[in-house]
Amino acid sequence: MGVMRIGHASIKVMDVDAAVKHYENVLGMKVTMRDKSGNVYMKCWDEWDKYSLILTPSDRAGLNHVAYKVENDSDLDIFRKRVEDYGVKTELLPEGDLPSTGRMLKFHLPSGHEMRLYAMKECIGTDVGSLNPDPWPDDIRGAGAHWLDHALLICELNPEKGINRVADNTRFVMECLDFHLSEQVMVGPGRDIQAATWLFRTSTPHDIAFVGGTGNGLHHIAFFLDDWADVLKAADVMAKNKVRVDVSPTRHGITRGTTIYFFDPSGNRNETFAGLGYLAQPDRPVITWTEDQLGRGIFYHAGELVPSFTEVYT
Amino acid sequence: MENEFFHVKILTTGEEILCRKGESLLAAMGRLGRRGIPAGCLGGGCGICKIHVQSGHGVAIGPVSRAHVSDEEEKSGYTLACRFSAMSDLTVSVVGKFRKPFLKGFGNGL
Repeated sequence: MGVMRIGHASIKVMDVDAAVKHYENVLGMKVTMRDKSGNVYMKCWDEWDKYSLILTPSDRAGLNHVAYKVENDSDLDIFRKRVEDYGVKTELLPEGDLPSTGRMLKFHLPSGHEMRLYAMKECIGTDVGSLNPDPWPDDIRGAGAHWLDHALLICELNPEKGINRVADNTRFVMECLDFHLSEQVMVGPGRDIQAATWLFRTSTPHDIAFVGGTGNGLHHIAFFLDDWADVLKAADVMAKNKVRVDVSPTRHGITRGTTIYFFDPSGNRNETFAGLGYLAQPDRPVITWTEDQLGRGIFYHAGELVPSFTEVYT
Repeated sequence: MENEFFHVKILTTGEEILCRKGESLLAAMGRLGRRGIPAGCLGGGCGICKIHVQSGHGVAIGPVSRAHVSDEEEKSGYTLACRFSAMSDLTVSVVGKFRKPFLKGFGNGL
């Protein structure tokens, strides 16, 4: 019973063809489906469900929704009641509302971001299959991302106005969806304002994260790589493809992950993130970062925040 | 690409740069190492490089997010510097700026 992992992100792009080329050539994803509305569905080589990314044509960039897969179809009914009892309205979308996908529970986080839960998605297998598989396929392109790993959402944080959607979202996903807290950033004179949180359902440091900002938006969607060598290679791929890199290869203090941040052609931020960090467990003591060490938390080597990283989002 | 250049005056900072025909204004700034216009995603999506073209004309070289530049604004000369190329000498003012950084300034860095 329960949320298993991040299932997909649906994002807005202003030029679908340019976006497809980016996710194909830079990340190594493949198109698996296109629907009548011009939406494009893509998947990474090491994923078994039909898609983890939906590109929707739009006049702007940003997130449509983020979806998490649950173990059983009956979990949707259980979560529906828990979410509604918490005071959040839900809508049950029928099977086929998204192609190759079963029914979905749709609701909005306290921050306003749309989240969906689903149990069924068509399984088409990883690129290496399940019978005596090779460790990787021959036709890996670009960075060869294994899978969509997590999303980081910007949530309104305004202590003077008493608004903290980071804390509101955190409490919601912990109480209603059984997410566990791995790390948090505490700021303010009393270090009592929860300004950023990282939460998990898998045993990796985060499957979702919330960070305080001036509004509501998408900070990034992240794709998983194995190790530092893969991260360096990914950076080369970005240079070859003239991709706008936001932060060149470095390590996060938070989650211990090694990382690169870059932008897709519509300005949606991507991350290639490597390493399993540590074993995230419900009983692992929560890690806290303080405002004075935030530079180290985000960029462990340089120890300084970069303006574009903290202030640019879609 | 022709080797035609246009003079661009950034009113907000007083800088003057040369923008190559076909090159985005932001790319021209970057080429010269200038920081007068904030640079973000370079893809027309984040809105940080928003400018107002006060005189002269240019051409859009890609889509501009309607979340940051509305139809009316675009008709009044507002656009994003990463998506705008000069077709004549220009004067522009910088509208976009980095927003308040997340997480900072709540406890004076303590």
